Amino acid sequence: MEQVIANGLYLGAQYALIALGLTLIFALMNVLNFAHGQMYVLGGFITYTVYGQLGLPFVVALLASGMTLAVIGALMEKYLFRTVIKRSHREESTMLLAAATAFFFDAVILLIFGEKQRGVPKIVKGVFNTDGLIMPYDRIAVGALAIVFIAAFILYMQYSRPGRAMRALAQDRVAAQLMGVAVERYSMIGFAMGAMLAGIVGGLLVTITGVNSGIGGPISIKAFMMVMIGGAGVVGGAIAGGFILGMMESVGLTVLREYGDVTYLVIFAALMVFLSIRPNGLMGKPWG
Amino acid sequence: MVDLLQVSGLTKRFGGLVAVNNVSFTVREKEILAVIGPNGAGKSTLFKLIASFLRPTSGEVLFKGERISDLAPHIAARKGIVRTFQETTIFKNMSVRENVIIAHHLRSKANLLGFFLGTKLAKADEQAFGTSADEILEFLGLSAISSEIAKNLPHGHLRALGIAIGLATNPTILLLDEPFAGMNHDETMKAVAMVRRLRERGLTVLLVEHDMPAVMKISDRIVVINFGEKIAEGTPAEIQSNAKVIEAYLGSEDEAIGL
Amino acid sequence: MTRVAKAASISAFLAVVFILVPVLIIATGRTDLYYTLTSVALLSIASAGVWLTFFIGRINIGQGAYALMGGYVSAILVVNYGVSFWLTLPLAGLFCAAASILIGYPILRLRGVYFAMVTLVLTEVARLLALALPITNGAKGMVSIPLPGALSIFGVTIIPNFAGMQSPRLAFYLLAVTMMVLCFAAMYRLVNSRIGKLCQSLQQNEELASSIGVNIAYLRVIAYAISSFFGGVAGAIFAAISQSIYPSSFTVTDSINFMLNCFFGGLGYVFGPMLGTLVLYFGWDLLFQTGKFQLLIYSTLMIVLMLFLPNGLLSLGDLLRKRGSNNG
Ligand SMILES: Nc1ncnc2c1ncn2[C@@H]1O[C@H](COP(=O)(O)OP(=O)(O)OP(=O)(O)O)[C@@H](O)[C@H]1O
Ligand SMILES: [Mg+2]
Repeated sequence: MEQVIANGLYLGAQYALIALGLTLIFALMNVLNFAHGQMYVLGGFITYTVYGQLGLPFVVALLASGMTLAVIGALMEKYLFRTVIKRSHREESTMLLAAATAFFFDAVILLIFGEKQRGVPKIVKGVFNTDGLIMPYDRIAVGALAIVFIAAFILYMQYSRPGRAMRALAQDRVAAQLMGVAVERYSMIGFAMGAMLAGIVGGLLVTITGVNSGIGGPISIKAFMMVMIGGAGVVGGAIAGGFILGMMESVGLTVLREYGDVTYLVIFAALMVFLSIRPNGLMGKPWG
Repeated sequence: MVDLLQVSGLTKRFGGLVAVNNVSFTVREKEILAVIGPNGAGKSTLFKLIASFLRPTSGEVLFKGERISDLAPHIAARKGIVRTFQETTIFKNMSVRENVIIAHHLRSKANLLGFFLGTKLAKADEQAFGTSADEILEFLGLSAISSEIAKNLPHGHLRALGIAIGLATNPTILLLDEPFAGMNHDETMKAVAMVRRLRERGLTVLLVEHDMPAVMKISDRIVVINFGEKIAEGTPAEIQSNAKVIEAYLGSEDEAIGL
Repeated sequence: MTRVAKAASISAFLAVVFILVPVLIIATGRTDLYYTLTSVALLSIASAGVWLTFFIGRINIGQGAYALMGGYVSAILVVNYGVSFWLTLPLAGLFCAAASILIGYPILRLRGVYFAMVTLVLTEVARLLALALPITNGAKGMVSIPLPGALSIFGVTIIPNFAGMQSPRLAFYLLAVTMMVLCFAAMYRLVNSRIGKLCQSLQQNEELASSIGVNIAYLRVIAYAISSFFGGVAGAIFAAISQSIYPSSFTVTDSINFMLNCFFGGLGYVFGPMLGTLVLYFGWDLLFQTGKFQLLIYSTLMIVLMLFLPNGLLSLGDLLRKRGSNNG
């Protein structure tokens, strides 16, 4: 039992961090970033290169992952999404763009890093072991780091100037503009931050699960689900969604172990029913 | 005159907030009844309840003696209760005429399959809707702009188009939510005359409005709402001298009742 | 377009797909193109369904689920119950339509990304169900599905037995193209009839639509059912052509591709999904020669096109027309 909860919390913390980036971009721009999983993978490969290959400290690697992705995110917003949103009749068009960038990242990742599964040395060795609860120290470290990042993110959004501007933007774009918020600038910052979060989680998790070029899509789908559970565009929702999915997976994989994929079937079906009853997730804003 | 609509004990809660609290009144056939009250008083919510866009927490609305509170909005519309929206709500990518034609939906005799196959009945419908739409546009003075795309219209025209859409459904009761908002004096006077003509056509009109001179001029009776509760009901003259009403309006900051 | 111009372009289109293409293929001996074009035709049918849901203002990433469902329904009926393929074809469509009514009624209340995500999850659910259900034969799928037999009505053979043919490829091509023409004709009629206007009213403002008496829930479900019907029919023919169907025959990637085809052709144009499918599928095929750069070039081109024609390929016509009228 404790084991299930501990696994759920560990999964939940990283999931929440993934979902936060996605929901931030959605909240600011109404863009569903299909490339989120690919950004995660890119972050993983960068940490793999810097920490695993070049042997630099893990912190440097993590920083490199976050920074690179932030730059990529900013460029994407400025040169791709902004233009398409301006020129398109229907805002859904950004989906095609997002999907195309996802393909693009897939292609780039495949060309640069190849298709092999890659791992890095553990950041902390050893296993925490008391009766009934087994948890490798590196998982604990990663889970704790994830929680630190989540807390930092919340504090930043709550108290910093850009954070407040972004919240105003998420609430009502037009009103924010009237209030003098530099909409374009903060859209770019928000996109960069969302991408950075994806990169950081990628960098964190490569130390545990490793990374390969094919997992971008599935990661995106999981991130979508978390965001839907909690409610799109809401920070609290993304965190709740992340932990809920983490718990469900942890419980599901224990209870339904012998049925294999049935766990996901049950989770998916439950999600569909849940959303039919609560169309905006736990705490989401209505859309469209 | 006969009671067409009976609102009794209507209450709507949003979480902890009671937006409409135990409101009762009746609407007589072919009258113009205004609902007034400060911002956030619950007027639009009341209209949504009457038009079945929201379900009441308790209480009910009777239309010709029949309970309509749990119906879907399109059923209420079919029965003859149609609302326009506070925000200018139109089909923005259609032309003005298309907007009005589509709003004739309730009058169609052909069904969906008929429209797909283009049966005689469907063609007759199309013909009739077109004629009727032109007539409505003429009536509201919108003929000149009938082929403009709706999103390009100026504000005053949008309001008029909203009313045209409402009219096209051939309602018994038309609920207008702030029909004069954003209009200048002349436009308002024109619109007031237009609402009068609606009544001459046999419609019963319920309207929410902040423009007090217009309200006083146009309505047969007035219902006043404050913090979700009905605080007064009566003729314009009665309302203007009602102490509670004056207090409610003086209590709010920048509202002028135009006494 | 005038009546004459319309009739002329329709006849030209029919002449190309039914006569010119087969003649050219036979002349050049490139019979492999049959398969490509058949795929394009079928995928464009499924994409047409997605387009129709876009038309009522919903982003549908669940068409793969119905294509899979249609494929399995047809395969199971043919293999386990010996039903004629020709009967299973409408049955597959109807089964999907019925299923979509049950599923659609609750989920069509969702909007925007929520609907998009639920439908995406639906694709996964369909795949996992196909893996888990006994009747679908799990991961092994259904294989060696017999080719379509003869179709005869009152003893008159309308369609000969595919198994006895010299080139079932041509037969499948003609079948797929015929279905495509029928589907798009139906869509064109739908969109240009009053139903099309009603759908547009949903897309533009559901609340207003219901205030003028439109039964929005009903209309949404109808549109979604037609959409899923298209998906089911496409899936059924696919299963017949490949003579097999697996849980992985239609996945999330396919669902996304259907959606992309619509975007790419243009959401504002009935024939958008057809053109979008053709260009994306052929584009991908042509880029095969670039080897490992295939995906990179493909996605780059897609991004560039998106930047310059965000309203789809068919919006190019509108742009040129506008430019023309501005100059003239
Ligand atoms: N869907 C909703 N959920 C929660 N609260 C709501 C909802 N709709 C309205 N309210 C609240 O109910 C109260 C009454 O709102 P309503 O729109 O009916 O006021 P109103 O009298 O029409 O005001 P105005 O004159 O500004 O149009 C307000 O406090 C509003 O915030
Ligand atoms: Mg109001």
